[in-house]
Amino acid sequence: MSERVNVNILMVDDQPGKLLSYEAILSELGVNLIKAHSAREALDLLLKNEIAVVLMDVSMPELDGFELADMIRQHPRFQETAIIFISAVHLSDLDRMKAYQRGAVDYISVPIVPELLRAKVSVFADLFRKTRQMEMLNHELRTLSAQLMAAQDEERRRIARDLHDSAGQLVAALSMNNGMIQTEEAKLKPAVAQAVRQNTELLEQLSREIRTISHLLHPPLLDEVGLLPAIRTFAEGFAERSSVSVTLELSPDIGRLSPTVEISIFRIVQECLTNIYRHSGSKTAEIKIWPVRDSHLTVQVRDEGKGMPAEVNHNGSGARKVGMGLSGMRERVRELGGKLEIQTSGQGTTVVAALPIVTAVAIGA
Amino acid sequence: MPFRFLIVDDSELVRQGLRMVLQANPSWEVCGEAADGSSGVEMLKSLRPDVVILDFQMPGMNGLETARRMTAVAPKVPILMFTQHASSELEQHAREVGIRSVVSKTNAFRMVGIIQTLLEEKQINPVN
Repeated sequence: MSERVNVNILMVDDQPGKLLSYEAILSELGVNLIKAHSAREALDLLLKNEIAVVLMDVSMPELDGFELADMIRQHPRFQETAIIFISAVHLSDLDRMKAYQRGAVDYISVPIVPELLRAKVSVFADLFRKTRQMEMLNHELRTLSAQLMAAQDEERRRIARDLHDSAGQLVAALSMNNGMIQTEEAKLKPAVAQAVRQNTELLEQLSREIRTISHLLHPPLLDEVGLLPAIRTFAEGFAERSSVSVTLELSPDIGRLSPTVEISIFRIVQECLTNIYRHSGSKTAEIKIWPVRDSHLTVQVRDEGKGMPAEVNHNGSGARKVGMGLSGMRERVRELGGKLEIQTSGQGTTVVAALPIVTAVAIGA
Repeated sequence: MPFRFLIVDDSELVRQGLRMVLQANPSWEVCGEAADGSSGVEMLKSLRPDVVILDFQMPGMNGLETARRMTAVAPKVPILMFTQHASSELEQHAREVGIRSVVSKTNAFRMVGIIQTLLEEKQINPVN
């Protein structure tokens, strides 16, 4: 990733001569210099361009620099834009304080020392450049992470299918053959008959194991019947395997969702239940899914366990302590344009994912 | 007249095994085998079997959709689902589309029992 980041510097002064001198000083920085002769023109240019640094005179007719700074800060897009004030007057500490309160990053007095102005603007231009690069890298990472998750889902689906089609069918055929032998049990020596009966048990065990692995990898009901039946079957199997008592409250009005949303919600629930079993010590788990105003879906998984490390809700390193799954869960929710919240205390943990509804019909599935 | 079965399963191994298990009864006959749901529906129309044994997970149309179409064509022919994925949840969905029972693939002999019961019912209340 070595995309060049364009850096725009907006220079605001009512005196054209000063604008020219700033231009001369800053030209060697290799940035785009945009001139505004009034606060109004500056606002107009801010809206049309992505500005890294605003360099502005405090004393201007109509709107002065402080008023302009106030207006800039009110716009959510410009909360972080660096503002440097230049002033020949207003040089008291009170004036400087007024400037910093308006979010100025620097306050330069006239006469300007060219090297100083260049150095100061250059710092913020670099900061802007690096922030943008980081944002781009972040975006790329997110895209990559989403692709990886989709690839992992697809791979799990394929392995589950292969297990069903190969090992599963072989075991089914073996069971039938074995059953045929069992129908003739009376003709067998006792030890042989015993071995055949044992084979029946072993085959049933093998079949259960293949089924469990295949369902954990990718539940067949998810594609064929939908999210809620898949969750019910998973919860039933989970409760049997873990001895955690699971209660379900699944709103039937959800219908079929897009395959990506269905697999994501299933994985979130699966991850939550796995965490409950492995880390929480809770004997209960409660899964609720309900629609909110036809546009969103809330998925809530609650336990009565000992809680998670406090830092897990800040997307920090705590996520690693309770398994890779938590950050994966966040990524899945973010990818779907939703929000994930975790409330945790010594009395239990509640994971709530709010997701926009994308129905299967809406995407033509 | 032998009782005639249609088997719909994408695995040849399973179809072979089922044929062997069913035809162990001399008055039972497998009249057709289909490897997918659509061919299964067509064979149901042309062969008019007494019982259909249907897989759940198949390429293309799944067993539930196949059963829905079969029930529309021949509502009185009992359909049994023979699957690796037997669960109470699947059973509920299966019943909604007219499937009589869901049987695990490791338990073909339970199916034999279910078929016997079905056929006894049929002899008492002939539908064809």
